[in-house]
Order: sequence, then structure tokens, then C-alpha cells
Amino acid sequence: MAAAASCSTSTRSTGSVVVAASRNSVTSFQRRGPRASGTDSGCSRLVSIAGTRPSVRNGQLLVSTGLPALDQLLGGGLAVGTVLLIEEDKYNIYSPLLFKYFLAEGIVTGHTLLVASAKEDPADILQELPAPLLDDNCKKECDEDICNHKTESNIKMKIAWRYQLLPKMEARPVSSSRFGHYYDVSKRIPQELIEASKWHGFFLPEKISSTLNLEPCSLNHGYIKLLQFIQNIIYEEGFDGSNPQKKQKNILRIGIQNLGSPLWGDDICWTENCDSNHSLTKFLYMLRGLLRSSLSACIITVPTHLIQNKAIIARVTNLSDTVVGLESFIGSEKETNPLYKDYHGLIHIRQIPQLNNLIYDVSDVKDLAFKLKRKLFTIEHPPTPTVLLPSQTSTSRGHSPVW
Amino acid sequence: MLESLLALGGLVLLRDSVEWEGRSLLKALIKKSALCGEQVHILGCEVSEEEFREGFDSNINSRLVYHDLFRDPLNWSETGETLPGGPLEALRALCRRTDPGPVTIALDSLSWLLLHLPCTTLCQTLHTLSHQDSCHGDSSPGEQVHVLGLLHEELHGPGPLGVLSSLAQTEVTLSGAMGQASAHILYRRPQQRLTHQTQWFSILPDFSLELQGGPPLEPQPYPDPRVPSMDPTTHLTFNLRLSKKEREAKDSLTLPFQFSSEKQQALLCPGLGQATSHIFYEPDAYDDLDQEDPDDDLDV
Repeated sequence: MAAAASCSTSTRSTGSVVVAASRNSVTSFQRRGPRASGTDSGCSRLVSIAGTRPSVRNGQLLVSTGLPALDQLLGGGLAVGTVLLIEEDKYNIYSPLLFKYFLAEGIVTGHTLLVASAKEDPADILQELPAPLLDDNCKKECDEDICNHKTESNIKMKIAWRYQLLPKMEARPVSSSRFGHYYDVSKRIPQELIEASKWHGFFLPEKISSTLNLEPCSLNHGYIKLLQFIQNIIYEEGFDGSNPQKKQKNILRIGIQNLGSPLWGDDICWTENCDSNHSLTKFLYMLRGLLRSSLSACIITVPTHLIQNKAIIARVTNLSDTVVGLESFIGSEKETNPLYKDYHGLIHIRQIPQLNNLIYDVSDVKDLAFKLKRKLFTIEHPPTPTVLLPSQTSTSRGHSPVW
Repeated sequence: MLESLLALGGLVLLRDSVEWEGRSLLKALIKKSALCGEQVHILGCEVSEEEFREGFDSNINSRLVYHDLFRDPLNWSETGETLPGGPLEALRALCRRTDPGPVTIALDSLSWLLLHLPCTTLCQTLHTLSHQDSCHGDSSPGEQVHVLGLLHEELHGPGPLGVLSSLAQTEVTLSGAMGQASAHILYRRPQQRLTHQTQWFSILPDFSLELQGGPPLEPQPYPDPRVPSMDPTTHLTFNLRLSKKEREAKDSLTLPFQFSSEKQQALLCPGLGQATSHIFYEPDAYDDLDQEDPDDDLDV
């Protein structure tokens, strides 16, 4: 009896992905259709949007954050409809990188982007995105296809002639059927990818005219404008299902940079008790409401090291779904610590959301360090202290710990 | 590196303190950019115009455009000489300036502006001011706007200092030792690592900058030599080394399941006090102790 029960649970676990993916279909046994649903094949009734996949834990639809290592730490990816909050490091060197990875992933998978910033023009931010790393085979195929486009039709397929009538697979430059791509930080994204993508920009100095007398209201004017902008985009482009789309459903990726800094008009980095203590928290609350009712995912970077009131930091953390903190070693005493000499900082997964779930999804790794190599941003475990013991030669027995 | 501070563009923050004042360094940098042919605008809030201009010779003085906020900051005299609208309007007028060419804007004191203007407005205006070149379309590197701000760091709490540091591209902290001033320069270029340098300098009476010997380090990424390196072998929960006594005790320990010669002797020759063990068995009521062999019944 116990054996039968374990057998059934094992089959359920293997088939759970398929079951979860095919919630909308009649039968639970469904062949998993092709992920890149560019062509509307009639066989699969899955609602599969490019660049997303269902979570194996709770069936939530996930998008990639752009860093496969971070996806793994967050339990597969970022859930659609949630907010990823990045606590910036002290000199704001590494958090823009995570921000750019998120946006680059959106371009590569064909999602719509919405970039909001008070510091830089969104067009400039998009120019600086990292270039995606193509598979070498795919690239070679592309080149070959381009050169011998004419001659390949009848020469091949002497043996596998039955496949000649099948439609040709397009060798697209980037395979958007994969979940999570790798990027080369030292190169810029090719211009044609940016032009082929759809994006909306919100640059605060342009949207707000600098008038002196703005009547004080409960929410900051910059935040109000941003919320209205996001709401308009969601409504007009149908991400919340308001205009039933004949065309493909898509995800809106929202990126907001340096939220809470004085450039957005917020006082919380300045003093501990200020009038607009609640602007940021109200903004996050309303933003989360907008996100939950639409097919969108949002990344926000907040300079929490500048916020003077610790209660606001706690509230901001609670109001976001996934919180990742970056702590760089520059200027701190950890830089000279021999444990951390290969790394540039620590990454803390502070919070993982509990979406439609009773189980707490706590990340089981507590200490993670990141390193920015020339081309790649990697996240690893730093070595434990005993590994780095200096090998002394005075005693022959070596160091054996004695309990 | 101190002399090429202005080449980096953006906002340069000069943090001084009571012991090491920064106005002379500010004036030295102003003189340098005036000699390079740039336009120089000065927003003077803390000292009078005469006092600021003293020490400069006439050709430099003719290049400086001085906006005076010291004499009449609230515009009480209403003579029309002072700028209407106060400091904010003066800053905004500088933002809207449309003359071509590289320009240096010196804010005589950012501390004064911080105390008189709302902070977010000041930050936004400073940001617009220092990024002015990007809104004028294509600009060659020589057409940058350099903003020099003097900040008295003892007047402000950690909040404003942190915010202004995050806004600034370059941060120069003045300190010194034994009568010799030094500047600790922290600069970050976008997309690149943070670098820092300490430079010993002195300002000559005609406000030219002289770099001193001292120990000037080459630019390097930011280690802090004051902090001792951490030893990972502290605070461990186990011993890494044995003392001599502990080592002897460890060596003389006999392991419980090792068959040594003493044990062999003990087993072979039971000593005086040791009796061999006997087993005493009392059969139960249910035990069937039959001495016969049950296989005897088989006729095999």
C-alpha cells in the first residue's frame, strides 16, 4: 500500500509540469506544444507566451530575470504580476547591471518594455544593454543560410527525402524559445534588436514641468505621473485583457530605476521624518495592484542605503514580492577579508513571495557572493573559512580539528 | 589627477571641513578653467564678491561671471540688481543658458543652497545642470558642463551627504596632516569601477595649484589600508592547533576496540581479582529443554 502510494506520487511529480501547463485543456494528458508560439498551431491549446514558463512548484507563470543564476535562486524565475525589488549597492555600480539584464531579456524574448527613470533618458538606457550570447551553432547556421540560400533546395536530402516537404525552420538569430539567456556585458546590444522591439520610456524631467508651486498632496507628483503612464500603457495595449487581443498575448516588462531618490521628488533619503513618508509605500501598493491585474512583471531599484528611516525600508520590503539586496565590498572592511578576495560583493535574497501557496519558499542558501567578470555576472558561494587555512609547515601533523 | 578633475565633467563635490577649507581649492580650479578659455559662472552665496575676486588677476576676473546672492539674498532692497526669484531662479537661469562652448559653474556654497532650498528641488536642478550637454543634441567632449560645488560636510547630516555623493561624479574630500593639505578624490565613471586617489597639494597665493610630494598613490581601485585584514581562523568552534600536553594526551589514548598486547594478556591469564564470566541460566516454564535429539526419530 505504501509502495503504491509512492508510485502514484512519483508519477504525479513527473507529470505535474505537464498538468500544470495545461490547466485550460480538457484532458490532463497533453503533449507539451512548442514553446515559441509564433505560428498558431491548432494542436496545442496551451496559452504559451514567448519567454515564459510555468513554475514547477505552484504553476505560476514565470519570466526570466535575465540572469539564469538568479532565476534559479528565486525558484525558477520571476512570477508574472510581481515586483522584483533590488536594493542598490553603495556606489550604484552593480544594480544597474541587473536592471539591464532584465530589460535585455525582454528584448530578446520579444516582450514589451516600459523603462522609467529620473536620472537617465530611457533611450540611453536601452542603448547600453548587454548583447545576448548567441549559440555558436545557431550563428553558423545563420551565416550558412545567408550565403548558400539559393543552392540548397534540391541538393540536400538524398537520404532523408521524406523530410524535404516539411516547412523549413527559420534560423532566427536569437532563439526566443529558451528560458533565460546569457549576455555579454562587454558588448552592446545590436541596434536592430532595439529597433525591432517595442518599448515605452518615461523620463521624469520631461514629464513634469518644473513649476515651483505644486500643491502638496498625499502622493508625490512624479509617482502619480508614473502610475498614470503605466496604467495607460497597460490599458491601451491590452495587457490586462481589457481589449481582447486577436494577436499574441505578450508580457509587459516594467523597469523603474532609482525609485525613492530625490530625483523623483521624494524626501525619504534626506531626513528621517519627512512629510512624504508614505509616498513611496503608497506608490508601491498601487503599482502592485496594477501588476496583479495584468500580464506584467516589474523590476525596481531602490537606494535603500540612503533611506534614513529604517521603518520605511521595512515597509518597502514588505510591499514588494521578491527582494534582492546587493552589497558591494568597495570601501568596506570586507574587501580585505581573504574569504572574499575573488568576489565583488554579496547578494542577499531577502524575500521570496508566497504566491498561491501555503509553503514558505525560503531560499536555503544564505551566503552568496557575486563577481563581475569582464563578460559575465556570476553568483557563487564563497568558500568557507576552513578551506582557506594557510598551510603551515611547523607541525607535521597538519591541522586536524579537535572537538 | 587633481588638475584633471574638471576633465571628467558632471558634478564635482568638494567637501571641506573647519580645519581644511576648500574655497582656495575652488578658486584654484576656477582659475585653471578660466585660463583654459572656458566660461565661468559663479553663484556666490557665502562671501562677498570683492572678497571672492581678490587674489585673481584682471584677465581672469574679466572672464568670471558673478551672480551675487550674498549681498541681498531676499531681494529687500529691490534695486533690480539682484536676481529675482532667489537662488532657485538663478540656478534655473544657468540651466537655461544657451551659449555654446564649455562652461564651468561654481557654486560657492552648496551648503548654503541646501539650507535655503528644498532638497528635492535642489537635487533635480543640480542634475539638470550637470547633464545639460546631453539635452543639447550632439556635443563634443569639449562642450561639457562642469559643476563645482563646495560643501561643508560638518553642517549636514548623513542623509544629505549621502544623496549628494550619489549624485556627484567626483567627490573630493579635503583633509591633511601636519600642515599639508591632501585631497582624497573618489571618482566614478559610468559603467566602470570606482577609483580613488589621494593627492597632497598646496595652493599658492596666486591661486595656482601645486602638487606636492607627500605620498601620492597611483590611481587604484578602492582598498582602505586603515582596516586590518580579517583572519578567518578567529572565532572558530573547533581547535586548529594542539598544545604539547594535549598532543601527549592524544597519543597516549588507547582506542576502545584495538586489540593491544595488554588486552591479550588480560584475556589469556585472568588475574587475581578477575573471574571468568559465567552464565547462569534458569529455564522458564515455556522452555523445552529436551536432551534428546529430535532427529533421532527419522528413519533415514
